[in-house]
Amino acid sequence: MTAVRISWRDAVAWALRLGLGGLLAVAGVLKLRDPSGFAVEIANYQLLPALAAYPAAILPATELVLGLSLIAAPAPWRRAATVGVGILFVLFTIAVGSAYARGINIACGCFGGGGAAIGALTLVRNLALLLGIAALWTLDGARRRLPPAAPAQPS
Amino acid sequence: MNDDPEFDAASNGGPAGQAGASGVRQDGLPSRLAVLLAAGAALGLLLNLVHPRAVRFATFAPPSVCSAGADEHAGAATPPAVELLSLTQVASLCGDPRAMVADARSAERFAEGHVAGAIHLPCASSRIAATAALDRLAGKETLVVYGDSTEEALPVAEELRRRGDRPGLRVAVLDGGFPAWSQAGLACSSGPCADCGAHR
Repeated sequence: MTAVRISWRDAVAWALRLGLGGLLAVAGVLKLRDPSGFAVEIANYQLLPALAAYPAAILPATELVLGLSLIAAPAPWRRAATVGVGILFVLFTIAVGSAYARGINIACGCFGGGGAAIGALTLVRNLALLLGIAALWTLDGARRRLPPAAPAQPS
Repeated sequence: MNDDPEFDAASNGGPAGQAGASGVRQDGLPSRLAVLLAAGAALGLLLNLVHPRAVRFATFAPPSVCSAGADEHAGAATPPAVELLSLTQVASLCGDPRAMVADARSAERFAEGHVAGAIHLPCASSRIAATAALDRLAGKETLVVYGDSTEEALPVAEELRRRGDRPGLRVAVLDGGFPAWSQAGLACSSGPCADCGAHR
């Protein structure tokens, strides 16, 4: 019987996957409860508000798909989901940073309706999430660079 | 170390991998990413078709601007249903159980000082906050909204008036906002409005 050894890299990567994927999936489900309300939240950011209906319909389910993929999909798909989640977090951070810089006093809408007004703390939280997804990408990348456990058998 | 067989298959000679010793290959990553995003978008559009609170693309209208920097919009959007009240008029409502005062500024500004007895309502577009405020409006006849300026509070007041859907409710804005209130030495802080009479 072979003992299963889990490296610290694997443990951290899985913790990040569960944390970030779970967070995104929960956020997606909460937003899915009220798409029309979420559209208002998006419009409040005053970034092309007339088009807010489209991301309101698409974003929650995309968050759900990416979040679940990050946790439970096969490795190559998890890698793609990591990129997708990174793109989403970059967009969210730009939106929050833009509203904060313009002094717009609105709720984040990050987890569906309402919530606290956006501020420096929201921005810091988004940056921390970005760091988390970057760390996951790096850890997975380092893992892929490792040599195979056993030499290939000659054919 | 490499305890994930799918991962290893992709990185160590599997059909999608062919990774060399020089580094990491990302074969198939863009197409997988595109599939995930397309799946999310398709699922979202499908759910929106059957959702009772679905967003309608053709008829969606963004709410009125709710911003500290909304001066250019507020004048045009000022509805006749929202009236301006002077400092004296608002001070006379302090302690009136039929009146409620709402602070439309940021949490930081609210914490620094606010009209005594006012609730914090940073923006009417926050549905949870607006719903909670509307719940507290039960039995009230007057709602006074203020911000750092008259213009900041006007869209918030209008949004509350619209969402409240109570024809008898008087929705007003404090003329001059909190700076005028504070400069006049009227009651501030989060305590009860016991001193309002002394300031009139």
